[in-house]
Amino acid sequence: MNHLFVPGQLRAAVRDPGLRLLFLAVLVAVAALTSVAFFADRVERALERQGAALLAADLVVEQGEPFDPAWLAQARTLGLAHARSVMFPSVVLANDQPLLVQIKAVEPAYPLRGRLRVDTPRGETGSVPADGEAWVEGRLRDRLGLVVGDTRVQVGDTDVLAAGILVDEPDRGGNLFQLAPRLMLNYADVERSGLLGPASRVRHRLLLAGEAGELAAMRDWLEPRLPPGSELADLANARPELRTAIERARRFLSLAALCASLLAGVAILLATRRYVDRALDGAAVLRTLGMSGAGVLRWHLWRLGWLALAACVAGALAGLFGQQALVVLLGNWFGEALPPPGVRPALVGLVFGVSMVIGFSVPTLLRVGRVPPLRVLRRELDAPGLAGWLVWLVAAAVFFGLIYWQVRDHRLAVGMALALAAAIVTLMLAGRLLLRLLMPLRRTGGSAALGLAALARYPQLTQLQLAGFGLGITLLLLLTVVRIDIIDTWQASLPAQAPNHFLINIQPEELPVLQALVEQRGIPHSGFHPTTRARLVAISGRPVDPESYASMRARRMATREYSLSFNAVMQSDNRILAGQWWDDGREGAAGFSVEEGIAESLGVKVGDALTFDVAGQVVSAPITSLRSVAWDSFNVNFFVVGSPAVAEGLPVAYLSSLYLDDESDGFAVELIRRFPAVSVLDLRPILQQVREIMERGALAVELVFLFTLVAAALVTVAAAQVSRDERAREVAVMRTLGASRRHLVRAVLAEFGLLGLIGGVLAAMLASVSGYLVAVELFNLPGRFGLTTWLLGIGAGTVVVALVGWLATRRLLAVPPMRVLNSG
Amino acid sequence: MADGHTLDILAAIDMQVNAGEAVAILGPSGSGKSTLLGLLAGLDEPSTGRVTLLERDLGAMSEDDRAALRAGRVGFVFQSFQLLPGMTALENVALPLQIGGRDAAREQAAGLLAEVGLGERLDHLPRQLSGGEQQRVAVARAFAGEPEVLFADEPTGNLDADSGRRIMDLMFGLRDRIGCTLLLVTHDQQLAARCDRVIRLDGGRMQSAA
Repeated sequence: MNHLFVPGQLRAAVRDPGLRLLFLAVLVAVAALTSVAFFADRVERALERQGAALLAADLVVEQGEPFDPAWLAQARTLGLAHARSVMFPSVVLANDQPLLVQIKAVEPAYPLRGRLRVDTPRGETGSVPADGEAWVEGRLRDRLGLVVGDTRVQVGDTDVLAAGILVDEPDRGGNLFQLAPRLMLNYADVERSGLLGPASRVRHRLLLAGEAGELAAMRDWLEPRLPPGSELADLANARPELRTAIERARRFLSLAALCASLLAGVAILLATRRYVDRALDGAAVLRTLGMSGAGVLRWHLWRLGWLALAACVAGALAGLFGQQALVVLLGNWFGEALPPPGVRPALVGLVFGVSMVIGFSVPTLLRVGRVPPLRVLRRELDAPGLAGWLVWLVAAAVFFGLIYWQVRDHRLAVGMALALAAAIVTLMLAGRLLLRLLMPLRRTGGSAALGLAALARYPQLTQLQLAGFGLGITLLLLLTVVRIDIIDTWQASLPAQAPNHFLINIQPEELPVLQALVEQRGIPHSGFHPTTRARLVAISGRPVDPESYASMRARRMATREYSLSFNAVMQSDNRILAGQWWDDGREGAAGFSVEEGIAESLGVKVGDALTFDVAGQVVSAPITSLRSVAWDSFNVNFFVVGSPAVAEGLPVAYLSSLYLDDESDGFAVELIRRFPAVSVLDLRPILQQVREIMERGALAVELVFLFTLVAAALVTVAAAQVSRDERAREVAVMRTLGASRRHLVRAVLAEFGLLGLIGGVLAAMLASVSGYLVAVELFNLPGRFGLTTWLLGIGAGTVVVALVGWLATRRLLAVPPMRVLNSG
Repeated sequence: MADGHTLDILAAIDMQVNAGEAVAILGPSGSGKSTLLGLLAGLDEPSTGRVTLLERDLGAMSEDDRAALRAGRVGFVFQSFQLLPGMTALENVALPLQIGGRDAAREQAAGLLAEVGLGERLDHLPRQLSGGEQQRVAVARAFAGEPEVLFADEPTGNLDADSGRRIMDLMFGLRDRIGCTLLLVTHDQQLAARCDRVIRLDGGRMQSAA
């Protein structure tokens, strides 16, 4: 059977312009999808492979307080290996520069699972730092200009030698959003540093490892003894937040890839139409020679099948390159060593590509099997195909299936399908309206009017082209201009003198001196707020039962420790929503003011009594007001604020935020020197890093959208090519009748320019509206309509589409008319 | 070109057609009749030789100049009609008038269509018309600009005998009225006989001129 002869089929495909386009469109769709799939697969496998190493143990207890010695004794009794670690943010000082770091102090047995990797001047080691030494992350060394083995780093009251570079630590997990670099100490040094005050932000971990039976016994023993706020983690629930983050990233990138695929799908549909139009004559001849309709169809299906397969393989290869770029952009969020790309994403790409061909190409191809043999005599006899709406319905159904398959979330899939359908319907309806308006132009003569009338003569094609161009421009606008708009708006929303340093952990005895110093230097600050770590234990006398809350947020608030503050005066950005602040003649009364969101989560209202446990002391007071808080003001704000009367007798530390400009920058160092226990957090690098993360994330999405750009170009070319044969004949007849080249070029420019103009206007409109919704709904930013979106959409739309039309027609003008007229 | 060898489609053609004359180019299939017609009308370019149309040397003119020469002065009727499928009968006939920048193109076109018996079918698309009707639209289009020269390439080749005869009657009738030069390519001896002169072509060479 000659249809099995693959090279021949592929050669034929190269010769046919429709199939060439189809090949490219499938390639682009598969490349977009597999680049995301390869990347996500590598990250997921990295997580699976790390397994226990992610926890550095088999079982981990984490809490805000030190562990009861009885727990360690029990672990020893059961024969379990154990090690403690403690983590907290702090500011260290080296070479006169302060830097916020994430300190982690570990006992010598750490890690119980996985491997610690440290480069020291004496070579690589896997052991914890000795007393008086520290392992530092590479970027910490770079920022502070440390010389390993030489520079000493001041940590609270003590100083340690930077003795090695921390390359890898097992329970770091994904360092996604971990902004501050790591400094690892020996557990013994932390106690000496004096940084572990009663109100500091510390997480204690107890790592346990051993046989499954003993671990289960330890778990059973621990569970009834765990204080509220403690968490038990094992392999089954290791790093759920990281898994969620990766799944979200994968979904989002998949959505971007699907946009490219949708455009590629439209290109496939158009290219198939052109292929079938050209194949009908040959099919009619085959039928007169005795081949059945089914036989003809089978012959073409084989050809298409081989072509799709080749395109999928090429697409997967292109995807392999694409994912490498994603790894470069995002890979270091997930640790350095990702496993090599696997086979599965390539197979996913294959299934995806073949499904695209089945959905977007095969329904149109069916026509070729229904060609009447009589066409050899009467060329105007067409082959009946499926109804136009049915062809689109099949394509839409298959594409919806592919969305669902890729995003694994039916709400998201339906949402995206609806958004795309709305965009396409808007474009199609606008196209129809445009045609109505153009009808009168058919009566006039000039070359531009002739070109415009051409749009009205092929209504279906015009609508299709408009949908293709419009969707392409919309997606590109949304990703480039709107992204820039949103980031700019976000930056503009930060107040000019927003506090950029936080002072944490100011002890009461240090407060008068420190406050006087700040005020004497005239440094803007947000006030000094007494705070303490507290746990909610009862509401109106009823013990808090986390299980009784449906929402995860409420459960967390009900179990976790959080900061409680006390203030006589309300913060300026707060607003009372219910009840009254205690400055109305009731300063002496005990009361709490609760932030509205938390009040709603916990289901509390004015008049309910809240009872807190503060380091063993129990305090209770009624809620006297509910407040709204402007969290983006960068002021110091708290969910729950108590009246000064509540604070009496409680262990508190003070907290403040300052604005330091470039001139007063050295003040931070001075503070750290004079008040070693106070943590000075410089927010500027964090803001910078948040911006970098946003930029990199956006770049990654843009990278995937590069495929959209290529797909949009393919749709444009495909849409121009569908009408190429008719256009060639039209040009030849017009030239025969005496139309000049300039006349024809003007007609084409007018036709495609108008198409681009309308597509650009609609795209700018769709992109502006969706950009507005994204800003307002997703990022809580003030929405705005940027002029750039409109200028770029309309300008680029008109010019690019007119250019494509001109390029597609230019060659036709060079062919002598007689050759075209004789060709069929 | 075929297999690297040069193929002479036409050779040793030396002919002149005078204004107002009706000349038939007669010959079997593949004798080069249509190619000759295309060259004479400036729709294609010869690799060697010289063609003059309406006292202008076509070889010295650009494609655009040739198009401008054709506009309004030359008409065509093709075997396969060559109507634009997206345009109505009226729009097809008005097209050369619009290209030539004539006023009241649509009114003139409507008059011509009425003359060829299609006054009731102005807004029909080509696919809604029979072969004979399509060719009548093509004839109306050819005469729309009142051309000085009319080129007709097998105008009855795709029609049954009856329709063919009616088309030729129509064509000759209109030609008599405006007095244009006619070049008719055909393999039908009877049709050729209606012309003033017959040029016979075989294997790309002129056999005789009668």
